[in-house]
Amino acid sequence: MKYVTNIEEHDYTVEILDDHHVSVNGTTYEIDFVPVSNQPVYSLIVNGESFDAHVFYDEDIWQVLFQGNLYTALVEDEREKRLRLSLGGAASEREEFLLKAPMPGMVVSVPVQPGQTVKKGDVLLILESMKMQNELRTPRDGVVGRVRVASGDRVEKKDTLLSVE
Amino acid sequence: MPMFSKVLVANRGEIAVRILRACRELGIRTVAVYSDADRQSLHVRYADEAYRLGPAPSRESYLRGDKILSIALKTGACAIHPGYGFLAERADFAAECQANGIVFIGPPPSAIAAMGDKAVARQTVARAGVAVVPGTEGDGSLNDEELLALAPQIGFPLLVKAVAGGGGKGMREVTNMEEMPALVTAARREAEASFGDGNVYLEKMVEGARHIEVQILADGAGNVIHLGERECSIQRRHQKILEESPSPFIMEDNDFRQKLGAVAVRAAQAVNYENAGTIEFLVDKDKNFYFLEMNTRLQVEHPTTELVTGVDIVKEQIRIARGRQLHHKQEDIHMKGWAIECRINAEDPYNNFIPSTGRITHTLLPTGPGVRVDTGVYIGFEVTPFYDSLISKLIVWGETRGEAILRMRRALDEYKIIGLRTNIPFHQRLMDSHRFMGTQYDTRFVEERFSIHAAEESKTYHPEIAAIMATLVAHQQAERAAHVIQRGERDTSNWKWLGRWERLRK
Repeated sequence: MKYVTNIEEHDYTVEILDDHHVSVNGTTYEIDFVPVSNQPVYSLIVNGESFDAHVFYDEDIWQVLFQGNLYTALVEDEREKRLRLSLGGAASEREEFLLKAPMPGMVVSVPVQPGQTVKKGDVLLILESMKMQNELRTPRDGVVGRVRVASGDRVEKKDTLLSVE
Repeated sequence: MPMFSKVLVANRGEIAVRILRACRELGIRTVAVYSDADRQSLHVRYADEAYRLGPAPSRESYLRGDKILSIALKTGACAIHPGYGFLAERADFAAECQANGIVFIGPPPSAIAAMGDKAVARQTVARAGVAVVPGTEGDGSLNDEELLALAPQIGFPLLVKAVAGGGGKGMREVTNMEEMPALVTAARREAEASFGDGNVYLEKMVEGARHIEVQILADGAGNVIHLGERECSIQRRHQKILEESPSPFIMEDNDFRQKLGAVAVRAAQAVNYENAGTIEFLVDKDKNFYFLEMNTRLQVEHPTTELVTGVDIVKEQIRIARGRQLHHKQEDIHMKGWAIECRINAEDPYNNFIPSTGRITHTLLPTGPGVRVDTGVYIGFEVTPFYDSLISKLIVWGETRGEAILRMRRALDEYKIIGLRTNIPFHQRLMDSHRFMGTQYDTRFVEERFSIHAAEESKTYHPEIAAIMATLVAHQQAERAAHVIQRGERDTSNWKWLGRWERLRK
């Protein structure tokens, strides 16, 4: 099975040859790969070198953490990659932006109103969690759409708070 | 002289565990208190007795001084240790304990009150001849217009700070007049939310400043000693992230150390201080130093001092509270070797340090020579959004600063916490930073000169290994999904398939 894995804008063609061999960009490695104690922790021995990593999936991306470095990897097989390229990277710019709670907490205030024009970097909402007040900002210019929360509301992680169109 | 047979610990998390340990070693029975979010916490499980306070929010639990007092009275606890945060610096609570015949393990209410109001504290120590950072030393209840009028006299950049503040909350940096009104509003809002007091004051920002603090111990007989300094300049948003003792800025300069220590002792004496406390100073590049504030409690970073002096500060606190004289004289205190503490916070260093919550599904603690972990969490523990994000402290000792850094590097590499995000990778990057190693840093280092993303130059950067890992895990998961979907058209028998599937899930 052949995959194209992208890390920091570099493509790595990873082919799984059998249980103990993979090739990366044409170079073959002897590997031993096992999960540890039923956790998203993996021990990988590559040509005799031992690595211990935490590998987890977050919003369509694989995150690999080891030796103090975090790698975010997009893993696609050849078919998926062709499919994505044929669709092109269109649409994302004009889509509405949904502000989601990055953590559970309490809404302290919502300094914007529906219909208000906002500029990239403006504060949309202040969320308190773990005794810190966090200012959540808009990543782009736009107009505030529906505001779904009010100050004092408790929210869970990934709840949609408001939209910017 | 009271012999404490039972002590109530009015706190949670790692610090409650730390205090329980000291009591255990002294043969004192312990009482824990807990909120609904903490029923399964370590401090509840370690204590001899445990009593519920109320719902998760602090206001309804750990800040309920009345309930804590009545539990102390009911259980026959002779003393209350407040830890840090919550009720630790509330003079009214300390007074309430006294009135009920319960010893508050901390300073007298008058000393808490004198140091607790930052403006009063500055006046008091200034009168005792200790230099303070220029700022609005008034009564602390200036309105916005007054603050704006005073700002040009102090000069920019300046800090807006909460009168009742601490821990960087209710604090904002102002670089010019135009942005000042909005920042004052933000500081007041945060101060009001954190301390129930929206009063703020202004303070000149000392540039290139280092944050160096001195641990002191004072007994009821008027003996005051200092245990040397701690360097706390590694901060983010005015929150300390890493501390070391001694300060690499002071190093061998024992004269300066003794000068700083003597001033700290004088500041403590100015308010008739008793028990353990910390005097914080700002030190500029020419070694001019200014009094910043006094923390009238046990500090998060006290273990670094413990490792280099050999003094158990919590046990000393209990000793002093029992009315005994200090165990040590100033000339007995020597700093040996080097200690570094990394605060392990549940926050995502790759995503602007936003807090991270969730259940810890796996953890592996670093051990071995010279390593100490003060933690309040374990496998299966749920980190909730109700309290601060500090989940544990990793402290190492080495003969030299170099050895301590290398030891911290290896301990961080061993430390695994799975289930939520932590700032361990941040500390790992910091330990590799040439500026940190070369002691070329001040309080603005993390925000201005440090990037966790500058990984590519690092010798531990192995993207091809990461690619193999990500691909193998993705591949395994895709295969598993395919098995589930194609259930109907399997070529092997159902039993064989089930066995294989079970093995995969193990």
